[in-house]
Amino acid sequence: MTRKRFEPKIVAFTCNWCSYGGADLAGISRIQHPPNAKVIRLMCSGRVDPVMVIEAFKGGADGVMVTGCHPGDCHYATGNYRTQVRFDALQMAMKTMGLHPDRLKLLWASASEGQQWAEGITEMTESIRLLGPSPLKAGGAGK
Amino acid sequence: MSEPELRVGVFICHCGLNIAGTVDCERVAKYALNLPDVAYAVDLLFACSDDGQENIKQAIREYSLNRVVVASCTPRTHEPVFRACVEEAGLNRYLYDQVNLREHVSWVHMDDHDLATMKAEELIAMAVERVKYLEPLERKAVDVIQSAAVIGGGVAGISAALDLANAGFETHLIESRPTIGGQMALLDKVFPQNDCAICILGPIMSKVGQHPKINLMTYSELDSVDGYVGNFRLKVRKKSPYINYDKCNGCGDCEKACPVSVKNDYEFGLATRRAAYRPFPQAVPNKYTIDKRGTSACKIACPAHVNVQAFIILLKEERFDEALEIYRKSSPFAGTLGRVCTNPCQLECERGKYDESVSIRNLHRFLADYEREAGEIKIDPIVPNKKKAKKPIAIVGAGPAGLACAYDLVREGYSVTVFEARKKAGGLLRYGIPEYRLPRDILDDEIGIIKKLGVTIKTGSKIESIEELRSQGFKAIFVGTGAPGSRKMNIKGENAKGVHHALAFLDKVNSGKTVEIGRNVAVIGGGNAAIDAARTARRLGAKKVTIVYRRSREEMPAISSEIDAAEEEGVKIALLANPVEVIEKNKQVSGMKCVRMKLGKPDDTGRRRPIPIPDSEFKMSVDNVIIAIGQEVTADALLTQLEPTMWGSLEVNPVTLQTNMKGVFGGGAVVLGGGGTVVEAVAAGKEAAKSIDRYLKDEDLLEGREEYLKPIENIEIDGSIKMSYAPVMRTLSKSKRTTSFGEVELGFKEAVALAEAERCLSCGVCCECEKCVEACKLEAVDHSLQDEIVELNIGTIIVATGFKVHDPIETREFGYGTFENVITNAQLERLTNAAGPTQGKPYRPSDHTVPKRVAFVQCVGSRDRRFNQDYCCYIGCENSLKQAIQIKEKYPKTEVTVYAMDIRTHGLGYEGLYRRAREKGVVVVKGRPSEIEEDPETKSLVVLAEDLYTGARLETTTDLVVLATALLPNDNTAELARKLKVSTGEYGFLMEAHPKLRPVDSFQDGVFLAGAVLGPMDIPKAVAYGKGAAAGAQALMAPGVFYVEPIYAEIDTERCFDCDLCTDLCPYFAITGTGEERRVMFELCQGCGTCAAACPKNAIDMRHYRKQQIIPQILAAASVRGELIP
Repeated sequence: MTRKRFEPKIVAFTCNWCSYGGADLAGISRIQHPPNAKVIRLMCSGRVDPVMVIEAFKGGADGVMVTGCHPGDCHYATGNYRTQVRFDALQMAMKTMGLHPDRLKLLWASASEGQQWAEGITEMTESIRLLGPSPLKAGGAGK
Repeated sequence: MSEPELRVGVFICHCGLNIAGTVDCERVAKYALNLPDVAYAVDLLFACSDDGQENIKQAIREYSLNRVVVASCTPRTHEPVFRACVEEAGLNRYLYDQVNLREHVSWVHMDDHDLATMKAEELIAMAVERVKYLEPLERKAVDVIQSAAVIGGGVAGISAALDLANAGFETHLIESRPTIGGQMALLDKVFPQNDCAICILGPIMSKVGQHPKINLMTYSELDSVDGYVGNFRLKVRKKSPYINYDKCNGCGDCEKACPVSVKNDYEFGLATRRAAYRPFPQAVPNKYTIDKRGTSACKIACPAHVNVQAFIILLKEERFDEALEIYRKSSPFAGTLGRVCTNPCQLECERGKYDESVSIRNLHRFLADYEREAGEIKIDPIVPNKKKAKKPIAIVGAGPAGLACAYDLVREGYSVTVFEARKKAGGLLRYGIPEYRLPRDILDDEIGIIKKLGVTIKTGSKIESIEELRSQGFKAIFVGTGAPGSRKMNIKGENAKGVHHALAFLDKVNSGKTVEIGRNVAVIGGGNAAIDAARTARRLGAKKVTIVYRRSREEMPAISSEIDAAEEEGVKIALLANPVEVIEKNKQVSGMKCVRMKLGKPDDTGRRRPIPIPDSEFKMSVDNVIIAIGQEVTADALLTQLEPTMWGSLEVNPVTLQTNMKGVFGGGAVVLGGGGTVVEAVAAGKEAAKSIDRYLKDEDLLEGREEYLKPIENIEIDGSIKMSYAPVMRTLSKSKRTTSFGEVELGFKEAVALAEAERCLSCGVCCECEKCVEACKLEAVDHSLQDEIVELNIGTIIVATGFKVHDPIETREFGYGTFENVITNAQLERLTNAAGPTQGKPYRPSDHTVPKRVAFVQCVGSRDRRFNQDYCCYIGCENSLKQAIQIKEKYPKTEVTVYAMDIRTHGLGYEGLYRRAREKGVVVVKGRPSEIEEDPETKSLVVLAEDLYTGARLETTTDLVVLATALLPNDNTAELARKLKVSTGEYGFLMEAHPKLRPVDSFQDGVFLAGAVLGPMDIPKAVAYGKGAAAGAQALMAPGVFYVEPIYAEIDTERCFDCDLCTDLCPYFAITGTGEERRVMFELCQGCGTCAAACPKNAIDMRHYRKQQIIPQILAAASVRGELIP
């Protein structure tokens, strides 16, 4: 096997209730999608400290996804509203960090949305593949 | 960390071939063994099996492992299993992490084993990084309240509640309908034995009603939930049934008296019910309920708050006297306002949002006319209240405001005298409004009502000052002297001969004085006075009458039907023009100079402001000009000592209507400065009457005064209401209209009025006519009862709110809702039910005959991708077979055909049902009908279908079509899920924690799910779920304590600088105190971590999800090996 193609490394934060369940459902339903996203399970998307996202990029991630329950459906009532606020702030900081804003994505997926999960991962992988490796890591030449 | 050495053990599960079929588990195990700090790694066939767990335990002991990673399936199901396993081996259960190789790897990357294996390795590397930093934690025990709430009183909820109560737990059963029993109670027979549903359910329902451990809360809804497992706090709204249940004995007298009829949901729309109702005879509790949705928009919009819905409903029931009585509770002017009201009620009428508003004004006019035609007005004088009569009241001005005030006060028992300066009472109604709109005998009769009640009206007596009245001994005074002046235009020539001002002009005509009017008349203005003046001028002989108005027709404030009538009578309307000068010839009007206008931006009234167009002057030649640009208060309308506003009107408190003098009140045009309508004047008189009553009783004028009329929130107009429009009123012939002052509008005939009343949607359901109050001998009806919020402290919750049946009315599938003889299976169930609308005869709706041919259509709305309802309804096949057998048993000659994609009779007993049906001659056709057509004459139906077995095209005529419809989630399921923090699945039903192994658990500890709220199920299954959920709840409550996950926030108060961000963000109010006292209440903290992520000082961290536990995992995820895959 002599493949040489850029496989993006994506760190995907999920909440325990909705998006992790959505990822599980994608599995139970055998909905195939690229293997690039590595899931980190937290209790709520509201736990995602902006520092964690920045650490991921600093550590060499080509893309970061923050995923959780749909607004209004948060298991913790309001946690994901904060997620949205933090995401917006982070999105503004992306350029400052020298990163293309598409490298950071927010995905709302409920535990019944396996299809949406798989589609979200596929789209993210494809868009990062086009952007190339993150400029923040050694050898990274992308945008 | 004090721990000597990290020794991580990694166990990779094959899960048979589920994982190993895609992931090379052996390779992964080798990889894991090479990771730093990993002391042992192995792949196992089934990690969760006893053998597998034993292997893990042995390895922990043998290799002195102090951290464990299991890479298997989802932690959502198996984390507790492996934590327990680790604990049994002597390790703390939180020194464990799980990697999901099945759902997240092998099942979703089946096509690339190499990449899947690589991802598995990476995920394990991440978990190994995380697990190194985990700390031992102890679970916290919380006390569990030994009490449960069951939400939903259908068969599942009933079963759950009874089991809980029998086990000794206090159980609250919360049901939103007035009775328990749910959908099963509406069924006729239940398959496969076809026994009577209510016969088997009824006894259980009454057992629930009588159980000492069950607190039955019917007609109640869940308002909010807080707290946590073992300690939930529910707020339940007990909706007011407007009947005192302690007194009600279920006799039904209120129902017999109630005039309202609305669609009966318990009969699936096949019959109507009253607003006071009991769902069915076996209801538990056996009480009546009054269905009141709020106050109808018409009543709220009416300034006098006439109970419109009540008089219309009584009219519809041909109870004309009672209807008029309702109207007269608010005002004596049913006939007068029935002619001159601007009907603000009709603008708000809900029917108007659908097709056209109900002609409310014409209907109360009809009531008054009907009474007059039938004979005299029957009014008994009011017996004065001895105490109240000692405080006489004076009313100055016998206009609509003064008369309405007198009317209300005399009925309170006061002694009232009205002083009127003119020769006759009526004010503007008599001297302003022309006779062709309001015949004077009508007005006289209605003023007569007030007199008959006992009011003294002194005409021809002008009052100059308040003192004058006080000295005569009047204790309270109402000033309603009106605004008889006409506003001036202040243009050149306004004082010329031949220029009239509308009010003075109408006054003269209405008083019988002769007014000379020329051939050609211009009327200036766009209000009702302008129209009245124009139409009066026509009747006085003017050949050409032109209304000149400065804005467009849309902005004309006059009643639009009046404008139409004026035009019918030949009145011309010149829009967007404004006079600037009246041209005189020998001090006599000869013409008018006008300027053209255009419309600018909207002004304060919301109407667009007219702006003159420069150099657009034009001349009109006219003989008379009538200026009708508004009324104003004349100086003598204000009695001395009363303070005017800066505009010259009477100054009053806007709420109490009290003037600057105590005990003196004012209302109507004298306060409004002439801008108001008759009904507004009536309303002001009524409001003043309320103040005067309070004043004379020495009560506070303001306190508790505002009567809140709750608007109706959800008005259901379904497709079954046919569009229709208000009838046009008969009018006097055009030729007579320009020559006489005879009444133009001739009123509704009885049949027209009845048909029009039928259009009322009864949107408030209960109309507050209070007929039930009169009828109830036990005095149980109380329309003032309010909703009650009850707080419950409970340990566990069972949700069993059930389903709703798909109503094909929206899609009109197979002609449902259009063809009368297409019904749903739920409707047929009511038709075959002895307690149903046809006493058990399955009559077809169009002609009430027994159908000779019946066709069932299966899967209507089910297994249908178009509506995202591609699931089976689970009961439709058996139900149709059951109904088919029932028809065959009663009418063996009736031909029954079932059109179905497949017949699904799962499990024991159901196949026998299928066989019995076929033995009785029921024909099953494989295939769904493509279309159903109606024969318009016989109302029979032609079913077009293809038999998929034979390929034959079928075209069969049938008398009745029954649609077996889908079962859907209830409308409020999503909202309920949000309140309870449980998840909903793809189709909107609630989602269980695991589809196989935890079917009655939710992801929320302490919340259990039962019955069809989870998806379609039949009765035995729903009962089993109910009992299962009850068992789950009991198992949770019985030990008295519950161990909660030790995942909660911790605060380092040394770092904290009291910004309070965490306190503000916490959805559970779990963070309290400040400074060193700041702490997290772990019982309340649910562990979401929003506070930790927000803390600007890094002073908060989450146990088990610490930043230093997550970040190594992130770094591992981001950096494992190069991104270029060889």
